[in-house]
Amino acid sequence: MTKFVIALTLIICALDIACAAGKVRRWTDVQGRKIEAKLVGYQGGMVSLEMENGRVVRFPLEKLRERDRERVMQNLPIDLATASVDIDKLIWEGLKRANVDIKEQRAALQADTQIDPTERNKELARLQHMEQMTHPTQPLSDAAFMRRVYLDIAGRVPTYAETQNFLRRGKGSAKRAALIDELLDSEAFVSHFFNYLSDLLRVRDGISTGGLGDLKTQAYADWVKDQIRSDRPWDKFVTDLLSAKGYLWESPAIGYLLTDQGMELCNLSNTFTTFTGTEITCAQCHDHPFEQVMQIDFYRMAAFFGNLSYDSTENDRLLGHIQSRKKDFAEGAKAAKQNAADLNRLFAGYNVNLGDTAPENVVKLPFDYQYDNGEPHQSMLPGVYFGDPIDVSAADSPRRAFAEWMTAETNPRFTINIVNRLWKHVFGIAQIEPVDNIPGHLDGQAQNYDLLKYLERLMVEVNYSVKDFLRVLYNTKTYQREACYTSPTLSMIDRGEFHFPAPILRRLSAEQLWDSMVAMSVDDPEASERRTRILEAYREIMSVDWRLTTYTDARDRLQKHNQLGRQTNNNQMKRASELPLPNRVGTFLYAFGQSDKKYIENSSRDGTIPQVMELLNGSLTNKVMSADSKEMVHLAKSETSVNDGIDIIFLSILSRLPKPMERDYAKTLVPGDGKGSDYSDLIWALLNMREFMFIQ
Amino acid sequence: MKDDLLQLDSLSRRSFAERTAAAALGLSLLPSAEEAIAAASSAGKAKHVIYIYMAGGMTHIDTFDPKPGADTQGQTGAIDTTVPGIKLSEYMPELAKTFNDIAVVRSLGQKTGAHGGASYWMQTGYQESPAIRHPNMGGWAQRALGKQHPQLPDTIYINGGGPGAGFLGASYAPLPVADPTRGLPNSKFPVKNAELQARLDALEGLNDSFLKKYKTDDVQAYSDFYDNTLDFLQSKELEVFDLRKEKGETRQAYGNGRFGQALLLSKRLVKSGVRFVRVGNGGWDMHGDLWNRAPGKINEFSRGVATLIDDLKAEGLFDSTLIVLTTEFGRTPGINANGGRDHHPRCFSAMLAGGGIRGGQVFGETDARAMGVKEDPCSVRDFNATIATALGLDLDKRIYSPGGRPFLIANRGKPIMQLFS
Repeated sequence: MTKFVIALTLIICALDIACAAGKVRRWTDVQGRKIEAKLVGYQGGMVSLEMENGRVVRFPLEKLRERDRERVMQNLPIDLATASVDIDKLIWEGLKRANVDIKEQRAALQADTQIDPTERNKELARLQHMEQMTHPTQPLSDAAFMRRVYLDIAGRVPTYAETQNFLRRGKGSAKRAALIDELLDSEAFVSHFFNYLSDLLRVRDGISTGGLGDLKTQAYADWVKDQIRSDRPWDKFVTDLLSAKGYLWESPAIGYLLTDQGMELCNLSNTFTTFTGTEITCAQCHDHPFEQVMQIDFYRMAAFFGNLSYDSTENDRLLGHIQSRKKDFAEGAKAAKQNAADLNRLFAGYNVNLGDTAPENVVKLPFDYQYDNGEPHQSMLPGVYFGDPIDVSAADSPRRAFAEWMTAETNPRFTINIVNRLWKHVFGIAQIEPVDNIPGHLDGQAQNYDLLKYLERLMVEVNYSVKDFLRVLYNTKTYQREACYTSPTLSMIDRGEFHFPAPILRRLSAEQLWDSMVAMSVDDPEASERRTRILEAYREIMSVDWRLTTYTDARDRLQKHNQLGRQTNNNQMKRASELPLPNRVGTFLYAFGQSDKKYIENSSRDGTIPQVMELLNGSLTNKVMSADSKEMVHLAKSETSVNDGIDIIFLSILSRLPKPMERDYAKTLVPGDGKGSDYSDLIWALLNMREFMFIQ
Repeated sequence: MKDDLLQLDSLSRRSFAERTAAAALGLSLLPSAEEAIAAASSAGKAKHVIYIYMAGGMTHIDTFDPKPGADTQGQTGAIDTTVPGIKLSEYMPELAKTFNDIAVVRSLGQKTGAHGGASYWMQTGYQESPAIRHPNMGGWAQRALGKQHPQLPDTIYINGGGPGAGFLGASYAPLPVADPTRGLPNSKFPVKNAELQARLDALEGLNDSFLKKYKTDDVQAYSDFYDNTLDFLQSKELEVFDLRKEKGETRQAYGNGRFGQALLLSKRLVKSGVRFVRVGNGGWDMHGDLWNRAPGKINEFSRGVATLIDDLKAEGLFDSTLIVLTTEFGRTPGINANGGRDHHPRCFSAMLAGGGIRGGQVFGETDARAMGVKEDPCSVRDFNATIATALGLDLDKRIYSPGGRPFLIANRGKPIMQLFS
């Protein structure tokens, strides 16, 4: 205690920071030394504590043990008006700390006379690379900013008209904030963020329902898009996914549990990975080797879903009505010279009605359970292994209680998970990597611990609005910088040594590439006629009183049902979110790494030979060059001077004007001297530029 | 990034704990494949695999496991092979004649009768799971042995797909060739040489400023992919995909259908150095009308595979190329009301040849009606272990998913060593 006070008094400073005052309590530092004091301020990484004798001491936050550090961070208020600036400050502090640290290491290395010179040079080169990555990159130009936010928020490059519209709006940060707002409220954002969520949640067409019939699972995709459009708070959205019940067309959120139908244990693992960033799959078979989760915990948690049922008694009643009418239908079919059995495809939809009516306690420990705390085949009662205990009796179903526990602010991993994932969505690397394996203790694991805790509070402050959270990130100066010029090494990321001088340079996702090329070729990529939506029509078809309806009506419904969501053509010029999920093998989206939607975040941005061949010679490249819309090709051909035509092509593909030398190269590819010139070769070249493929 | 993480061999903060854990789970207490390989000299000789997959569930009793005289045999007769006492179905005279080169496994068993799950088991060695995707054998081999072909992907799928690279990521992904007669998709430049050259020259100039500014690994990787692909598309290597380079009689010997042509393409690919070629052959899900559909299809593959064996021998590639012919499950010996057979996971047959396999033998036996395995059962994992052992892969080496989970090639299956010579 004495030593600690002495250490602290050495760094006493003047105090003028207003901060949420706390109660007098015990604080412990990383070495276990304790002090009784009251929190009175925090700024620039320094905590101010007032001791009982009135003396105020300041010392670095990182010297406190993790729980006390959290206490400091959680007591700080958040001002949404300055949140973007606050994040920039926290980033800057992280970069500064790292820079000082690296310089010290370098000095120590240079002073070391014992070390082998080759080793020293290797180490110096490594430190130099790390030092480079502590310097923020250049701020983005308006053109580069525009291209980045269109790709990141709208999921595609801006069209020529959109480019002109923004660049002519004058200067200043207000127009940037306005564009961010505009894009977050656009239909393009719904499409792009849906691609992200469908990769995370594995939203796909034709979820296998174990032979239960022809379910139009696209209704679930429609519902997810609706939640994005209305900015449903993330915690409410997740609660819906875990607790929805009913028929697919009434309650499309049941799609989440249907995705893993019959594999409830795997679904539980997936739920933890997706919504808490916690990997517990291994606990299905044995105690987790390095987290505090035992095999028995896994089965206790699975027990929350133990009475999940796929068909309810209400269902039986309905099928009973259908059964009782079958004779009438058969007669109607005979009169119409049709086969009544065809109607079975329609009736099959009623076979799935998600509920909680299965017998209790069906979750049992496996036959080979080997630990002392349970017996093979023992029935499990629901229970959780971290966070607040759950009172099942208070909720209308155990899984509802579980959903509320999962999404509660007090769940230590729920908020961290989503802010970590969204940070990665915006900056390319998460605060904690890998995102699906957040360790129990975050101390020393995050790239910037203070920032992560700040983001957690920010998410609570915006009431889990994904849009508002993203809005803050997109408005930071850090986001609005040129992408990192070099890549952080894996060991830097692994050791939490990358401090975000800027977003990293990312290849466009499969969907961003596809959607960008669609935007160059069609008049309005987000037009409602380019959307594929079935939810309302599906609901209309399936809402029928089977006691009263006629064969003709049923037949009519069947025909409409069979037409629903038919999307056999993978190459329609629609946005990727409106095409079959996933696209089939051999398509453009497949080649560029679209997720197969079977495994969480299974999309890829790695390069392959078929990708290059697609861009060099593929049908999409040719479609862009020969598009007959009012977009790029038409606009360029309408210009009387080749120079103006070249400008249009550059602005449409790269969102910027050519540099003088680039204009010279471009001219070699455009024959003729004006109206009607063929820009195909130039379009081909720009689509194959590395610059087109990356978000700089 | 995913690929890079896999290659991260230094002990990082999490992988250290995971590796320790894996060791604690007893994963290293398995019999060593190296010992097994040492016991059989011809194992580990294969450098290539031609993996012929009969999608839908190939009937065993009408192909490799006939039961003449049994009430379940239906209309399919049996014929003698070059090995006394071993019979094949009457629709397979070509393979019967070359039986000294092939080995048949008649005692395979599958754990599920659903196409999706069973195909996944067969081709990855693992049970399908929504929590992880496992690689096919081509991916496992590339992970263990490194890249074999300098330009082409190590795994090529002709005539349809199967499980992909799984958790191994894009650089292990199979290259799909949908139709062998139409060559490699997108490999033809749509413009003449002079125009192409002008495009490429301009592209090089246009790329310059971006490449100077961004020196990241990803950008470099794409520049390399462009260089390699452009080289490849303008090289003679591309001709490997062009079946028109073959004599008409050769093409005919393999069979004029897409399947026969795919076999021919697989040989050309193997000759150019590709490690794993999967040839798909669908349409085996014969729930009805079997005797109008099966004989032609069976004879098509009998003829095609026999031609492939001859051709590989003529090229001197037979000993280094393992031919595998398999499917997800068999079909019920009992004939249903529609004159077809239904799914039968209890027992089914597969064929192996070349690549160190000792021909002229049958492993395992089913009962008199081909209903179940009577002797020497071979699990799907054992079958995969046999393929892996032919390739010389270490079955005890742990391979980690990006999430840090340890996996073993062939999932602890035991190779059937008596198939090797």
